[in-house]
Amino acid sequence: MRPHNARVEIAAVNPRRGGAVLATVLVACVLALSAQAPARSGRGSVLQSWVLSLSAPVAGAVGSVSHGVSDAIGSTIALFHAREENERLRRELDARERELLQLRAEALAVAEGSKLLGAGSALPGVLGSVPILLVEHRAGAQNALIGAGSSDGVSPGCPLAVPAGIVGRVVTVGRGVSRAQLLLDASAAAGARLARTGELGVVRGDGHGSLVLNNIATTSSVARGDMVETAGIDGIYPRGVPIGRVESVSRGSKLFLEIRVTPSADFSRLTDVLLLAPSPAIKEGAEAGRSAAR
Amino acid sequence: MKAGRILLLLAGAVVLEFFVGRSPYRRFLPVDWFLLATATVARSGDFVRAVLTGTAAGALEDALLGQPLIGVNAFAKAILGYALALVSVRVVFGGAFAVGLALFAASIANEAIVALLSALLAQAPLVIVTPDALWRALATGIAGGALESAWRFPWGEWWQRRRLRRLR
Repeated sequence: MRPHNARVEIAAVNPRRGGAVLATVLVACVLALSAQAPARSGRGSVLQSWVLSLSAPVAGAVGSVSHGVSDAIGSTIALFHAREENERLRRELDARERELLQLRAEALAVAEGSKLLGAGSALPGVLGSVPILLVEHRAGAQNALIGAGSSDGVSPGCPLAVPAGIVGRVVTVGRGVSRAQLLLDASAAAGARLARTGELGVVRGDGHGSLVLNNIATTSSVARGDMVETAGIDGIYPRGVPIGRVESVSRGSKLFLEIRVTPSADFSRLTDVLLLAPSPAIKEGAEAGRSAAR
Repeated sequence: MKAGRILLLLAGAVVLEFFVGRSPYRRFLPVDWFLLATATVARSGDFVRAVLTGTAAGALEDALLGQPLIGVNAFAKAILGYALALVSVRVVFGGAFAVGLALFAASIANEAIVALLSALLAQAPLVIVTPDALWRALATGIAGGALESAWRFPWGEWWQRRRLRRLR
């Protein structure tokens, strides 16, 4: 016969322990029953519906967290992509802006050239418009570098003008650029004629932005404001191109009047000039020089 | 009560339920043998064994009777095992009538719990007190009372007196 264990017997008659066992058994029974009982929705069992009901908030929370994390990761990746794209777009934008500036400059040049050509259609023998690249004012010498050369049909002696009046002439021709002497240069001169009286003289630059008309006799009726134009007698400039207007007339002590002329062309705003055909005398001279060289 | 005896009780309940429960006399003696087995264990005052015996007895009953939900009688008899153990510990009562009355009430409670669970889980109509349930409770109470009387009967003295009467 086995000996009695008093402690086990006392524990067995303890209602609390029995209550715990009862609770466990009842929970197990409820779970077993709910696993068998059909749910009211007709799908699955009551236990499944309970589990789904209990797990739905957890699943929702997990889903929300998952969505949040995936959104955050996606946002981070998108941010990096956006940065790269931003850099690329910025580079493209810079290139486009440069291209736009260039196109605008070209369009402006074309428009200026067209405008110049249109305005200068009254001038004789216009070959085209050329841009001024550089203007030099140095010790009475006033020269300009133009953006056209022999490849563009420029030859030495070609007059340069703007619609308002004569500007100067080409003195040295390169392949793509040429050097021109402005009429304001101290050593430049052009045959001139007073449009009102028809008297002929010589216009010279004073090297300081003004012109002087020489060889007009003191008997002349020239007056302030009279138009001075090219006479076409110097073998360089064609006839009838405006030079300027008489600014002042003084008698001086010699046989000729001292006449100061304000240039018609605005030399301070020279950007493009019209290239005129060279005088026939210069052409002949140049061909004769080439023949002699041969 | 020892585990072996509990198993014997359960086996006896299964045998009686199997043979008597399936017999044509079932309607006249629908005793809940599993409740009697549970009550027998609970009478020892051991809560744990009473609960476990009630659970096992209820599960066996569900299996044998072909309940649609296995576990409703286990649920009910676990509660009844605890309740009967509590009664046997806290209340001092004896006699066949008291035992029969307690078993009658326990059987009614068993039917009520089963009906409630079936209504909750299987959407069955909630009918607690039916004539069958009353008859079953009455039969169980009578059987319990009879067994109590038989248990308490002084069989040894009766046998001695019978022998003495024959010898005279």
